[in-house]
Order: sequence, then C-alpha cells, then structure tokens
Amino acid sequence: MANEMQKTGGDVARSEAEETRDTGPTFRPATDIFEKDDVVTLTIDMPGVVPDSVDVSVENRSLTVRGTIEAPVPEGYRRIYAEYAPGTFERAFSLPDTIDADKIDATHRDGVLTLTLKKSEAAKPKQIKVKAA
Amino acid sequence: MLNYGLSQAQWDPFAELRQLQSQMNRMFEGGGRSQRASDGNWPPVNMWLGDESVVVTAEMPGVGKDDIDLTVRENTLIISGKRNPSTDDEDAAWHRRERPHGEFSRSVRLPLRVDPDKVEARAKNGVLEIEMGRPDAERPRKIKVKAS
Repeated sequence: MANEMQKTGGDVARSEAEETRDTGPTFRPATDIFEKDDVVTLTIDMPGVVPDSVDVSVENRSLTVRGTIEAPVPEGYRRIYAEYAPGTFERAFSLPDTIDADKIDATHRDGVLTLTLKKSEAAKPKQIKVKAA
Repeated sequence: MLNYGLSQAQWDPFAELRQLQSQMNRMFEGGGRSQRASDGNWPPVNMWLGDESVVVTAEMPGVGKDDIDLTVRENTLIISGKRNPSTDDEDAAWHRRERPHGEFSRSVRLPLRVDPDKVEARAKNGVLEIEMGRPDAERPRKIKVKAS
C-alpha cells in the first residue's frame, strides 16, 4: 500500500489516456454494443459525467460521444491515492448504412450513457408475398 | 492497448489517426471479449485525507445504490456488490463487450481507524463517495499544562 500511495494519474482504469493541456487527459470509455431485432444498443461507461454535459453528435455517419468528468475535490481534503483522474471521455463509432441516424435515443443514468439506434426501414428484412398468377 | 502518450522515443503522429481508424472499423465487429468485474481491482478508487476523516471515492458506473454493500471495520473498507450486464437477453447479438460485469468485492486499507457509526456514503453519476470519521477516542487532543 505504501508504494501504491505514491501512484497518481488515471490511466489505470481506462485505456488510451492522452494528456492535453486544456481539458486534461482524454479517456476511451468502455462500451458494450448489442443488437436485438431492429435495435442496436450502445452502453457506455461515463462515471463522474453530469448528464447535461454529455455530448452526442452524428456527422458523416460518424457517431461521437463526449463528456467531461466532474470530480470535485471533497472540501477540506487532500488526495493521497489515485487510480482514476478527471478528464474527458471521448469515443467515435462509425455507423453502418443500415442505421437510421435520425432515430438515436440517448439516456444517462448512474454514470452510464445508453444510446438506442434503430435500423432504417430499408434495412429491415421484408417478406415478399408470392401472388398466385 | 498501446499508450502513445508514455514513450517519447516512439511517438508517431499518425498513430492516433490509425488507431481512430481501426477503432471505427472495428465497431460492428463481432466477438467482443467479456470482462469480469471480480478480479479484486474493481471499482477503481481515489482516496482523500482530511483532519479527522478519510474519503474514498469509487467509479462505479451502472451500479445502483441498492446493489452496493459497504463494510467498515477498523481500518478496512470493503466495497462489494453486483454489476448487471447491459442486457440479460440471450437472443441479443453482441458486437462489443468491454464493460466488466458480475459480482465484485474490493477491500481498501485506510490510513486511519474509522468509527463505523461515522460513515456516510453518497452515489452520484456513477461515482460513490464514502466519508469515514475517526473514532472520538483517537482524535488528537490538546492537553493543558497545569501549573504545579
């Protein structure tokens, strides 16, 4: 523990941290993606991010999520040990053509951002009725 | 994962671009690796020290406050609980699975002994904050010097 106490910085829990001067390090949030019927769901871990500050944008079939970690120092305390650090969560995903970019729902709860993506009408399997001639 | 920020000697300005590109290419690739939360290092914690108390903050996204169990004894804090997977649906097809799930338990050694009656825990936006106070008997006390 004495050794661990010396450790600072936050790239322990998340992959690919990168220092930038303005916003602190950028982290790639852990993400689950699963598909059921005509819905694709993305679950993205963003602990410490205030729901209002989450930014979800789609541009050129690229879906980007971004959120700034709010980690206020408890008043009257000093940090003696750290495994995670404030900074920004950011990750980009490319949307397949089968996804309708206009129908994306986003919710944020307990530090988890959930995006619900719908497949476009054109991509849904269609049953073609065979007519009797 | 490569961390390009660490090694100056091997820094490659295009590495990030390539990384972004491959990351995007991989998005809908199948066969994501499932991670368990039970290796004893989850959740990640920070620790803060005050005059009469200690605060532990833990990043626990997706764990509701009813799924968290806290145990405090002398100078040990145990955070345990269960983290539900994104979906229980067995028919769902997984494209990526990076978030740890399952039962977890983590023991954190504190720099001072704490009074179990002086523990307060709050959860906000996936971050749990546990504030623990020192027992009264162990507070540093001022001792008056009497004139003899």
